Amino acid sequence: MTAADLHTLTGAYALDALDGAEAGAFERHMAECGVCAQEVRELRETAARLALGVALVPPPAMRERVMAAVAGVRQLPPLVPEADVVPLRGRRRGRGRLSYLAAAACLVIAVGAGGWAVNAQREAERDRARLESVRQETAMLVDLMSAPDTTMRTAPVSGGGEATVVTSRGLNRAAFLYHDLPELPDSQVYQLWYDEDGSMKSAGLVDAPEGGSGAMLLAGGPRGTDGVGVTVEPAGGSAEPSGAPVMLVPFKG
Amino acid sequence: MRAVARSEDPAAPAPGALETMLVRVARGDQEAFESLYTVVAGPVLGLVRRVLRDPAQSEEVAQEVLVEVWRTAARFDPRQGGAMAWVMTMAHRRAVDRVRSAQASADREHRAALRDRTPEFDEVAEQVERRLEREQVRRCMGSLTELQRESVVLAYYRGRTYRETADLLGVALGTVKTRLRDGLIRLRDCLGVAA
Repeated sequence: MTAADLHTLTGAYALDALDGAEAGAFERHMAECGVCAQEVRELRETAARLALGVALVPPPAMRERVMAAVAGVRQLPPLVPEADVVPLRGRRRGRGRLSYLAAAACLVIAVGAGGWAVNAQREAERDRARLESVRQETAMLVDLMSAPDTTMRTAPVSGGGEATVVTSRGLNRAAFLYHDLPELPDSQVYQLWYDEDGSMKSAGLVDAPEGGSGAMLLAGGPRGTDGVGVTVEPAGGSAEPSGAPVMLVPFKG
Repeated sequence: MRAVARSEDPAAPAPGALETMLVRVARGDQEAFESLYTVVAGPVLGLVRRVLRDPAQSEEVAQEVLVEVWRTAARFDPRQGGAMAWVMTMAHRRAVDRVRSAQASADREHRAALRDRTPEFDEVAEQVERRLEREQVRRCMGSLTELQRESVVLAYYRGRTYRETADLLGVALGTVKTRLRDGLIRLRDCLGVAA
């Protein structure tokens, strides 16, 4: 096979559609063809997006089985010194990174876009305004997820499910990613709070879609606050928490 | 990753949130793994299910993939692409290995029937999240030629080799090679992927 022939195999290789011998030949070629390697990277990122397009909601028991399994699995050491591979500081903003992050943010935010029709092109047209607001929220989430000082704190929600609070002090932004929140009756809603020296300031209502998984940006920034709490409130929300929190995420530690 | 190709630009891309999580996972941080799971488990299960079809087997393979993510997290190399692509490559490979070993024998008789059963890419009937992502994939898939689309669907969502794909579609090998590449490039541009 000529080099030109091999080069056209980038697509098939990125989709694992070559058999063993061909894959080996292509890999040897790719080791010396920077253009091919770059194309394969891009086509793999593309394929990953196709996977996001067919995502399913995993059964809760699967999470339990995976967590139980990893507790007994020894991790492999890195092949190269870590510092050479993942510079966490002094990062530069790459364009490629952003589009990947857009994907990550989309998949999180899309869950929150509850009413989004799965099926109809026409409905997509009608929902253009809504999509635009989703896009803006997505853009904010992308910034948040790609900030150099982003931290994530995950905690269980009493009653079921769990949530992660994503914060960047630099951007003064926070997001709430939640999973398997128990469904509430129509008369109730989850409300987020910032803890400011013990006084609670509302950070928004969780418009949880079916399935209780999604993501949202918090109203207001985390700067000067000590943590985030979640309570169950009457529909429409409250001026201050009316009961004990179902989840509490302190920022220190 | 099977391939460790030298890059033109050896600088690692700036890590995003998923990459940061993965670095923590590599240090044995189970909490980070829980967060990572929340983000990737749905796409992993969905992709594996697409390829394998059988729900019980799909769940089993998806679990194996997620445990493998935990086990090999330290081997993730950001120069080779993002964390999501790393996980999905692993998931696809594992599913494809499974389906090819299982089908090697039974395949010949089923070949004719297979093409008829090939699902549309939007066929999944059960509970699905990430609607915006689905909508975008659907729109971009719609921008491909029929042959490009069928080739990509058979290779990626059905785990077919390009030889099998050529066979199923009744076209020459070279045609499938170029359709897979052209189709993916068009999808890359439509989805706004830049690596």
